[in-house]
Amino acid sequence: MHKEVDNLKKFHFTREMMRGSVYRKYEKAINALWNPRELDYSKDVEDWATLPEHRRAALLGLTVRFFAGEQAVAENLIPMIQAAWALDRFDWLMYLSTFVMEECKHAEFFAQWHERVAGILEPEELAPYFLERAATVDPTGRFELREVVHEGIPRYARELTAAVDTEDRQKIERAFLRFLTLYNAHVEGVLTMPSYEIVVDTCTAWNALPALKQGYRRIMSDEGRHITFGTSAVRTLLDDHPEWDQLVHDVFDEFRGTIVGLVEYQKAVPELDLQKYQVGKVRHYRNRCREMGVTPDETLIEQILDPSIDFVVGVTAG
Amino acid sequence: MKRKQFVCLEAGCERVIEANNDEELVRAVQEHVAEAHNSFELEDFILAGATEVDCGTTGPPP
Repeated sequence: MHKEVDNLKKFHFTREMMRGSVYRKYEKAINALWNPRELDYSKDVEDWATLPEHRRAALLGLTVRFFAGEQAVAENLIPMIQAAWALDRFDWLMYLSTFVMEECKHAEFFAQWHERVAGILEPEELAPYFLERAATVDPTGRFELREVVHEGIPRYARELTAAVDTEDRQKIERAFLRFLTLYNAHVEGVLTMPSYEIVVDTCTAWNALPALKQGYRRIMSDEGRHITFGTSAVRTLLDDHPEWDQLVHDVFDEFRGTIVGLVEYQKAVPELDLQKYQVGKVRHYRNRCREMGVTPDETLIEQILDPSIDFVVGVTAG
Repeated sequence: MKRKQFVCLEAGCERVIEANNDEELVRAVQEHVAEAHNSFELEDFILAGATEVDCGTTGPPP
């Protein structure tokens, strides 16, 4: 009898799991596989040759930031898999396996595009175009702009790993909720969405760089699954711990300054209507709150829409 | 009969969009966001934010 119970623990598939929304995301990811090496970069190469230097620099301010960001997030996904394993969520683990692969593939897309089109790939070739977040200033002094991708996410990832090591389910769930909120809801789900749109709109406005535009559209489609996995997982955790609702707001508050204004790389292409992206950011924030089952913070919305908040001062690259 | 409903959360919009199934809802919401907001909404966002309703009222035109 004891051995029979032990054997049951060796199997994770159930009909209920395979009908579940997370398992369906796994299936969708498997069905939606794409290969960055199969995109046709030839028109981008032609366009790049005729693109004025100021436009090249503006665009690289965005794409290089994405290239670094995709690598940073890929490096910090392992704690999510550890946490899914610790919480006995095999469906989450399965979906996260596609998540990790996709973030690595997005980084590969940027490697392919920068190498084939812009002719830069080595770190010393890319770094001069990386706009430093530390150089972005809020002239009113009301907000602090923090480096959420390269400091916040790694710190939250370390907290999640430490929680998994305790083997305390509640500590793991709490740390997981914070990580999902920062990574999937804040960074992927609100902060980055306007940036994707800025690049797509730039390609459209310039009638150029179709492979870059196609790659961004493919990436966004993948990100839609990532983001809604994260927000649905937050909702699941909040169902068990409704008193943790404030934790979601605390995470957004910690990086409030990063989200209320457009940051330097998002203003790299001055001919775009930047207010559109601020208004759209509110939509993304309210969507994420709806998905998580959390009441939106109206003061944050007011600050995002406040035209007097403009952070881009003293930007330097490299 | 159940229908699918999605409320556009763009600042100042809140248009209610209804359709008979997921596929129609995604198409209708994406058309609305493109026309009214010159933007786009991802399929996963629409499906994650959709609810089922018995009968619906479609909001004002964009």
